[in-house]
Amino acid sequence: MSDPALLSIIQARKLPARELIQACRARIDQWQSRTNAFLGFEEGPVTGVPLAHKDVFCRAGRVSSGGSKILRDGVQSDTSAALARLDAAGFADLGRLNMSEFAYGTTGHNEHFGDCCNPWNPDYIAGGSSSGSGAAVAARIVFGSLGTDTGGSVRLPAAACGVTGLKTTWGRVSRHGVMPLSPSLDTIGPIARSAEDCALLLQAIAGFDPRDPVSSRVPAPDYPIKKHDRVRIAISSAWIERHTDPEVGTAVLAAAKLLASTGARLTEVEAPDFDTLSAHCLVVMQSEASAQHLRWMRERPGDYSSAVRARLELGYAIPATVYLEVLRARGLWLDHFCNQTLGGADLYLLPGIAVRLPTREQTGSNGGPDVPRRVQEVTRLARWVNYLGVPALVVPCGFDSRGLPLSLQLVGRPFSEPALLASGHAFQQESGWHKRVPAHGPARNGESTWAS
Amino acid sequence: MTSPKQWREEAIETALSAQGIALAPGRAKSLARELQALLEASAADPLLASVEFQADPYGFHLALARTMAQTQ
Repeated sequence: MSDPALLSIIQARKLPARELIQACRARIDQWQSRTNAFLGFEEGPVTGVPLAHKDVFCRAGRVSSGGSKILRDGVQSDTSAALARLDAAGFADLGRLNMSEFAYGTTGHNEHFGDCCNPWNPDYIAGGSSSGSGAAVAARIVFGSLGTDTGGSVRLPAAACGVTGLKTTWGRVSRHGVMPLSPSLDTIGPIARSAEDCALLLQAIAGFDPRDPVSSRVPAPDYPIKKHDRVRIAISSAWIERHTDPEVGTAVLAAAKLLASTGARLTEVEAPDFDTLSAHCLVVMQSEASAQHLRWMRERPGDYSSAVRARLELGYAIPATVYLEVLRARGLWLDHFCNQTLGGADLYLLPGIAVRLPTREQTGSNGGPDVPRRVQEVTRLARWVNYLGVPALVVPCGFDSRGLPLSLQLVGRPFSEPALLASGHAFQQESGWHKRVPAHGPARNGESTWAS
Repeated sequence: MTSPKQWREEAIETALSAQGIALAPGRAKSLARELQALLEASAADPLLASVEFQADPYGFHLALARTMAQTQ
């Protein structure tokens, strides 16, 4: 059989499902000790192209832990709409993937289940909160994975692990049966090996669902890739040169040129106010997350990690008037982004992450006083998108001098997923960065994984 | 939006205590600092002055509809 690490979903569908699943399970055995991507495995018979998902997607009769101690043994009574739709579309579910506790972290640290590590180098962060999704897809254990994105949680692990991740428009994919973090911001999106594979997964899960109160009635179009001829892409080159790591900036500006060579027209625009919009996102996220967790924070605060508990504590001090004022301004900011920043353009191009990846130690509990700054640098270009509710695609666009992935981010108007996927696909057809696969090396504890 | 006043440790402790939240020991000081920074960053938004009296927090749904891509 062909090496499953090199196949797309379309190619995999033509292979015998049983052999394909065996091959992917063999890769779990090979990679688990290096990445710690899985929290639990489906041992029984499954059929279809193998996927696995962040452990916030409930499945009836199975544990969904949310990466937490509190729900570690929580068997669910219902299956999430997104998993049910993937089941119906013929995909296999190989298991539950590691994540930041309650999806409330951006680096992939998890003190309850162990950190999820970057397959390119386990000393470095995998990104979060859908850390297992990014790592499992990058290591070619599975063909794709669903994650959730409230402040970058699909795009950051995709960027850090060198795979493709789509944050969908708020309301595009039903969140029924998915653990909430911040309902005004929560979205679901695929992480896969390519934009084309993301399109196939989105096709399966998009559409109205009356069980999700914010589910959109905007019809889900055909997502399989169309040509991106004459797409207009806005970019703020001077901002990128001034505010990003030189290796990041060089790769992203080169990627923009490559996109232009495929027929895209580039337009220079003023950069959005990323930091103000990120602050607004945090006001909403922290207020809502703290409300979601009120009962457990009263009854068992010691069962949260110190980092998550601190984030939740902050939310209880945010004045309700500030929270509502920020929500009242949200529509104004969306108008501003679409009419002023994009103007006549279709998409906005920027890095996925503005800096080179930090290590797990630099951003963990022993990272010292620089941890908040380092984490803020990683998330700087992610949260503003959630405040606006718009879709965004992250694709790999090179590697830094340490061999770690660099990424490009495209942001569009509400429900512009087809345009994002088309441009991502056009870029990947020319660049080929998405075909790079991490080499298997020492495990995160320094021991050879082949010995286990 | 008016710039927020300086948040103090005691105010944080009182706010959380009133909601039945036991603050982890020694955390009030750092929380006050973080909260101050967050609220100042948010309040610095020049567009907040343009938010009309009648603006509704749920008006975002209408903005999504009026700005959606015409590529369906």
